[in-house]
Amino acid sequence: MVEGELLIRNGVVYDPINGVNGEKKDISIRDGKVVEEVTNPKVIDAEGRVVMPGGVDIHSHIAGGKVNAGRLFRPEDGRKGRETKTKVCRAQSGYSVPNTFATGYRYAKMGYTFVMEAAMPPLAARHTHEEMVDIPILDNAAMPLIDNNWMTMEYVKSGDTDLLAAYIAWMIKATKGYGVKVVNPGGTEAWAWAKNCDINDAVPYFDVTPAEIVKGLAEATEKFEMPHSIHVHGNMLGHPGNFETTLATYDLVKGIKPYRNRPTMHATHTQFHSYGGTSWRDFESKAGAIADYVNKNEHLSIDLGSIILGDTTTMTADGPMEYSLYQITGRKWTNHDVELETGSGITPFLYSGKSPVNTIQWAIGQELALLVKDPWKLALTTDHPNAGPFIGYPIIISMLMSKRRRDESAEDMHKVIFDRAEYSSIDREYDLNEIAIITRGMAAKTLGLHEHGKGHLGVGADGDVAIYDISPEERDAGKIQKAFLNTKYTIKGGEVVVKDGEVVATPAGRTIFVTPECDDKLTEEMMVKLKDKFDHYYSVTFNNYPVQDAYLPNPYEIKAPWRS
Amino acid sequence: MQTIRLKLKEEITSGDAKIPIEVDSLTPDKLFGKNEAEIKAVKVWWGNREENTGDLFDVSVEGEAGTVEEVKIVMEGNLSRVKHIGDGMKAGEIEAIGDVDMHCGAMMGGGRVTVKGNADCWAGREMHGGELVIEGDAGDNLCAMYRGEMTGMSGGKVTVGGDAGECVGQYMAGGEILIKGNTNILTGLNMKGGKITIEGDAIMPGADMTGGEITVKGKVLDMMPSFKFVETTTVEGEEYKKYLGDLAMTEKKAKGVLYVR
Repeated sequence: MVEGELLIRNGVVYDPINGVNGEKKDISIRDGKVVEEVTNPKVIDAEGRVVMPGGVDIHSHIAGGKVNAGRLFRPEDGRKGRETKTKVCRAQSGYSVPNTFATGYRYAKMGYTFVMEAAMPPLAARHTHEEMVDIPILDNAAMPLIDNNWMTMEYVKSGDTDLLAAYIAWMIKATKGYGVKVVNPGGTEAWAWAKNCDINDAVPYFDVTPAEIVKGLAEATEKFEMPHSIHVHGNMLGHPGNFETTLATYDLVKGIKPYRNRPTMHATHTQFHSYGGTSWRDFESKAGAIADYVNKNEHLSIDLGSIILGDTTTMTADGPMEYSLYQITGRKWTNHDVELETGSGITPFLYSGKSPVNTIQWAIGQELALLVKDPWKLALTTDHPNAGPFIGYPIIISMLMSKRRRDESAEDMHKVIFDRAEYSSIDREYDLNEIAIITRGMAAKTLGLHEHGKGHLGVGADGDVAIYDISPEERDAGKIQKAFLNTKYTIKGGEVVVKDGEVVATPAGRTIFVTPECDDKLTEEMMVKLKDKFDHYYSVTFNNYPVQDAYLPNPYEIKAPWRS
Repeated sequence: MQTIRLKLKEEITSGDAKIPIEVDSLTPDKLFGKNEAEIKAVKVWWGNREENTGDLFDVSVEGEAGTVEEVKIVMEGNLSRVKHIGDGMKAGEIEAIGDVDMHCGAMMGGGRVTVKGNADCWAGREMHGGELVIEGDAGDNLCAMYRGEMTGMSGGKVTVGGDAGECVGQYMAGGEILIKGNTNILTGLNMKGGKITIEGDAIMPGADMTGGEITVKGKVLDMMPSFKFVETTTVEGEEYKKYLGDLAMTEKKAKGVLYVR
């Protein structure tokens, strides 16, 4: 936030949350917030360019233990994005796993001002927060992994939803997290036994199924006025034929009533979960079946996880999936167990347009965006860096906006794209308003951040604005891509941070966290079990576990009261 | 023919700190067409500072060049802290008189670099064309890959007059290396193509190799046990034992050839 007044004139504004669709409109900002009008402002003349609220990324891996492990074991990736320090910027490195500074600068150059770190191992919460503090410009938040956790599985087994709610409340507070993240529920724990789980398989020892874990966590989450639903990376990610598991996962939370008008499940990187076929040989797109379900149901939101061709670094808490991937590629692989909480794996991967499997994956990500009718149900992501680095977003935007671009691209891909995917038969083209929805409006609303000033430009919103160097009439896919990669201006909290594609200021971002408020009696009862876990199994003590306030120099708290 | 003389000023390396200089911006293709004043203004890194070439080197230009091939750069002075000589060069010639620091001839695509002295580690790293001649010894990782990459040298020719260090040609995929002296451990580690000839001795050559060819004319110390003897054969009039390996990479992938006397 910066004090003073700013007026953005003559922009063509796309602010879908407020129903503003390409209107010529001035935006006034005072002391970092959007206001009705200003009296003596600094003026930016947008000269008819496209103006949108600051971008909101609902799912990206930008900070924490596995991101850093990815940087450490991929020096060859580190050398790809090297830029020397300038008067404003610090030294940058990396392409698929950029360093913290590059992460902030590159997102800001694309007009983004908020990014959700989508998987924080609770034990590595301090590391995650330390890196998020180091990421300049962006406001951020992180979701702790709570699903493969022994406490969670024991409460799911015993059916104590209230105590499970008390536990997730404690965990979200202890990690200064934002919501409940689920990654291959039960499967990551099973990986510690060298196994994996499908949705109805029993997790070794704990004897609960992934389905029960997802349902239990959704019910427990809705005990509070949580801004965001459970955020789910389902079972069997990346396996041929997994779309049935995916649809079954979606169905689990259908009957659960959310506390407000939002979905009860956000299903992430859906591309990886929309596979047909029985093996890699007859692998095919099931984007149609997934999109059909999303179109017919209201309890669900998704993000794409769209593929960017080229080399990247895959990293996830889904340990068994990374092992499968490593077995396919034979490239280097690392694996990590996080005590009684979760695990993770990392391996590099090359998405090639010559590979039939990669081609279909590439098609699926875009098919989902084109086949889901209501853009408010989906967000643009590449599950950075798993399906590709976030700096590929402008490529996806240009594809969605141009059928011609898609047709040209399809010609360069493996020919399976014409018979094992719907890709080439879809004519839909996104307009700028829909792009604004999937890159900011939907994500802000689904995360509940629109009530905290993100993703829109109504009075009271954060003064986060992106001015793209294109007119609303622009149809040239190349120019669209270029414009979305480097803004004319990015304004964060009323301060110009990017001008003509160059970072000109690097204010610190805020970390947004949620405080679920749980009944004291329930918490006390839960604590008995929890302290026993610490005494017997954890490598740290109970008192040393929670992230202290010092780790969040710029905190922003959202309270989530217990629903009476 | 044009000769560009770059003599490192004595005071630059006379201090205790011995701050390295990185000269990948001083290749024939990058200096072609520049006059003396322009060459003096080319930026080079000296530690964490960017300096003008003219502030670090005495620069003199003799003759004219009609093409890049006619440009020859002669580097003189104490070059022991000068890194990246000829890094990324595509054409022309560089002669470095004296011992040079790391990454000499790295990423080279064409032209010729001659080092009249020893070269430190990473010389010829990821080279894909051209010729690199090191008259003295070479350090470790000669013609290897950058850390983490899966391809080292893929083309061109490298000759070392003396000995070479560890991991010569690691992940090498093409091109030729001739070592007139001995090599330290693991020559041709993870090699998948190209040819390495060692006139002296080698220790554990060919570990994890899946392709390419290594010939050791001297003694092999600690021969990898995972190589399979194929036949006795004659190469250039000399009798050699031919081995295939490395079986540690599975039998299917063990396509590397190792000639041992």
